[in-house]
Amino acid sequence: MSGSALRGLVRAELARARAPLRLAGLAAAATALAAVLLLGVSGWFLAGAAAAGAMGPAAVLGFNYLLPSAGIRLFAITRTLGRYGERLASHAAAFGALARLRPAIFAGLAAAPPERALALSSGEATARLVQDVDAIETLFVRRAAPWAAGAAVLAGVGLVGLAGDAAAFGFLAMAVLQTLLGFALSARLTRAAGADLLTTGGRLRDRLGAVLATGPELHCHGLTDRVIAQLMEQAEPLGAARLARWSADGLTAIAPTLLAGLTAALVIWLAGPAPLPLVALAALAALAAMEAAGGLARMFDDAGALAAAAGRLDEVLAAPATVTTGGDGLSAVPISFGPAILGTAAPLVLAPGARLALTGQSGAGKTRLLESLLGLRAIPPGSILIGDQPLDRIGPPHARALFSLAPQNAAMISGSVRDNLLLGAPDSTNDPRADDRLWEMLDQMALGARVRALPGGLDGWIGEAGAHFSGGERRRLALARACLREAPWLLLDEPTEGLDADTEAVVVAALAALLARTGRGAVIASHRPAPLALCGQRLDLG
Amino acid sequence: MLRGVALWAATTAAATRARQVKRHWRQRVLAALLHARADAAPLAGIAGAAAVDEIEALDPYLIRYAPARANAAIGPLLVLAAAASASLVAAGLLAATLLPFVALMILAGGAAAEQSRRQFAALARLSGLFADRVRALPLLLAFQAEAATTARIGTAAREMSARTLSVLRIAFISTAGLEFFAALSVALVAVYAGFALLGLLPFALPEHVDFATGFFVLALAPEFYAPMRRLAAAYHDKQLGEAAAERLEAVLATPPAPTPRVRPPGRAPGLRFAAAVAGAGPDLRIGPLDLAIPSGGIAALMGPTGAGKTTLLRLLVGAAPLCAGEVELDGQKLSEAGSFAPLIGWAGQAPILLPGSIGQNIALAAPDTPRARIAEVAGLAGLDALLAARPGGLDALLDERGSGLSGGERRRIGLARALLKPAPILLLDEPTANLDATAEAEMIALIGRAAAGRTVLIATHSEALAAIAGQVVRL
Repeated sequence: MSGSALRGLVRAELARARAPLRLAGLAAAATALAAVLLLGVSGWFLAGAAAAGAMGPAAVLGFNYLLPSAGIRLFAITRTLGRYGERLASHAAAFGALARLRPAIFAGLAAAPPERALALSSGEATARLVQDVDAIETLFVRRAAPWAAGAAVLAGVGLVGLAGDAAAFGFLAMAVLQTLLGFALSARLTRAAGADLLTTGGRLRDRLGAVLATGPELHCHGLTDRVIAQLMEQAEPLGAARLARWSADGLTAIAPTLLAGLTAALVIWLAGPAPLPLVALAALAALAAMEAAGGLARMFDDAGALAAAAGRLDEVLAAPATVTTGGDGLSAVPISFGPAILGTAAPLVLAPGARLALTGQSGAGKTRLLESLLGLRAIPPGSILIGDQPLDRIGPPHARALFSLAPQNAAMISGSVRDNLLLGAPDSTNDPRADDRLWEMLDQMALGARVRALPGGLDGWIGEAGAHFSGGERRRLALARACLREAPWLLLDEPTEGLDADTEAVVVAALAALLARTGRGAVIASHRPAPLALCGQRLDLG
Repeated sequence: MLRGVALWAATTAAATRARQVKRHWRQRVLAALLHARADAAPLAGIAGAAAVDEIEALDPYLIRYAPARANAAIGPLLVLAAAASASLVAAGLLAATLLPFVALMILAGGAAAEQSRRQFAALARLSGLFADRVRALPLLLAFQAEAATTARIGTAAREMSARTLSVLRIAFISTAGLEFFAALSVALVAVYAGFALLGLLPFALPEHVDFATGFFVLALAPEFYAPMRRLAAAYHDKQLGEAAAERLEAVLATPPAPTPRVRPPGRAPGLRFAAAVAGAGPDLRIGPLDLAIPSGGIAALMGPTGAGKTTLLRLLVGAAPLCAGEVELDGQKLSEAGSFAPLIGWAGQAPILLPGSIGQNIALAAPDTPRARIAEVAGLAGLDALLAARPGGLDALLDERGSGLSGGERRRIGLARALLKPAPILLLDEPTANLDATAEAEMIALIGRAAAGRTVLIATHSEALAAIAGQVVRL
């Protein structure tokens, strides 16, 4: 795990989850200890009983069988409860941490420099949250493994040590060998393969989304099979990466099984001169301890996927360096566009309440200019002034509070009509009268009837990204949303594109009335004469 | 040691097979998605999850669970047989622990299956919500809604954590139960063998137990439950795999678009809509539409946004259902043909692009087309300026995203593709939307030339474009 942002977050979560993680560790240690003791003591009891039985009735009567059999019961129960406690505590810690990491990652995405954050397409972003974050989950769940391994090795050394120092050293050497081998194998085999999985999947998902959007064309031109073949081809690296990952997984599983048998044999050989009960105890304890310590190897397994996920998350979470000045008193001052942003010699000044028509060919930069005002794009320093303050020196929270946008693509969030409108009027969540305001605005945008017909009305579901609404309906909903937001400037990007002439007239009249009533300023980018007629000033970007 | 090697071989073999199985699933799922009848097609988010995540989610089932299940069926029997050869009573004790163990597994497993389905729903919601909000990030930033959205994602993530944890709380009961029975089997064998060696058992033994026998069965005892512990470790894999397979089956059950049964008419056909009603969603109907386009005529569908212009175009290619009325193509009925797609050239707003050259993309549907013919339709579609500006012209390579092409250029490639198809009908969906006045005028002139010899139906908002149509229907 490299970089600082994610590491800081994870470290904070580890600290926060210290109590459940410690509980998980202790439970894991108790489980391992009980497993080793159970088998070891059983072996010792058996051998002791054999010796006593061979010596005759007196020895049998003198043999204390109560203590070992009670111990066997205790270890069995400890092992059961310990395992349950360990699993539950470690997962509780992991999920608690993840529920905080997920929103933190989104917040990091929102705070990152817009060019970088906006370059993410949706499919990759999903992979980013759900899978990368899940990869981090293993970090928390596997925290208990070293405790278990440590307890198992300690118990193993202790029990095997009863049969002599040589046996104990032999066992310890094998345990260390197993750990090193597990680490080396996983590091080599799983890292590269794991890293491939997330990116390939994200690209495939994006591509499928693009293909599905072209339905009728596929039917008419018989392209479906070609497209499926191309998608299958694109999925091949994913299959290859998964195969490599699983083969590596299988390989890392060999080491513990190989070593356990070897270790038991080695311990018996080294403990040769010790009494039989102790040799039995040592051999069985070594067997159980090696198995319990083998869990450590799993901890290395997901290292590759984890490192890749952490790397990408870090990239998203890198904090932007924003220099901000004060943001007070900006709402009633003029906006000046300098030559550096206009590409013309003369600057352009918009007085408060002025309306600017933005015209020009497709691709001339109308949308770019609106996005620059919102701080979604980097601009030459000082090229736009709000009053006398350069826009690039005003913090985004202050700058964005000045503007309300109806975007060119009429973007919607998935959810209800209300979810979308409330973006523009976030304060009116629980006010019953606020609904009247929403309805009034919808009616002005000739959308009231459509929404009333929707099952659920304002709470009606508009589909994924507004898919249940037509393009024109989404546009009017976007306008209603923009008008609800109380900002001194409206930024309208192609506000009537895709509307028929009658609807356009209604919408433009509503906008005119609203601008006259509130005295707000506006910047309107459009090809069409009706909305441009609202404006007193004009800027042609060529 | 042998077990280790066998385990690795089994995993690799299972993984290789799993890749084949997944390939097969993916092929079928993609076909189901792309051939789906439009009104039954899953949303893009679900489609993406199905074709990528849910298919890969089969891996643990195929690779870890399936071999573990086979091993769990055979492994304990082998151990039991080995134990029985040394001590029948010890083997009996091992077998006796099996009964309550199986009962517990069935109880815990059944409960976990139900919970697991719920967890999948929560996961899908979380993933969908996050993807949607990231897509809408510019909007959320503009409306300064990032804090509120972060809080909402937090709520969803907490809900998901709670659900996952409740699944695991039950799944872990079986883990603990297995641990208990594994410990119990060791304890029972140890106590039996120990007391037999001491001669303290209150009943007569059917067999003789010495130390070697006792040690042997004791060493075997942990192995009795080992295959089942491996199976249990994979039990969660089974739940996830089965839930994924269930959702994939639902996608595979998507009704496919009908196979068109239509005869080529030999010339530009007449098209007649007779009170035709198209379905645009679960309860949205478009029409009835009455319209007769003569052979070689141009008609424009206009109307307020949402009136269903595109839906009526989709009706002809079987991408929207015919709910009432009829459409006839020189007497052939749409209700019988299912779709006129084989006779139609379609140019939409965002044409599909595949990795390859511009020329190959134009000729996607007919790869054997002579180069001269491709150049001709490219010229007809107004691509000359683009081809001149790009090194290689028709041979200039595109990636599958069409990086570097503007929206207008993509649309022209789509138009060229539609023109290349010797189809007597041309359907154009908003060919001039989002073009400025100059570009729109150019496109209208192109369409006028391209329409020669074809029957054309255009969905548009543009009065200028509608002016070239012989008939204009206002919905």
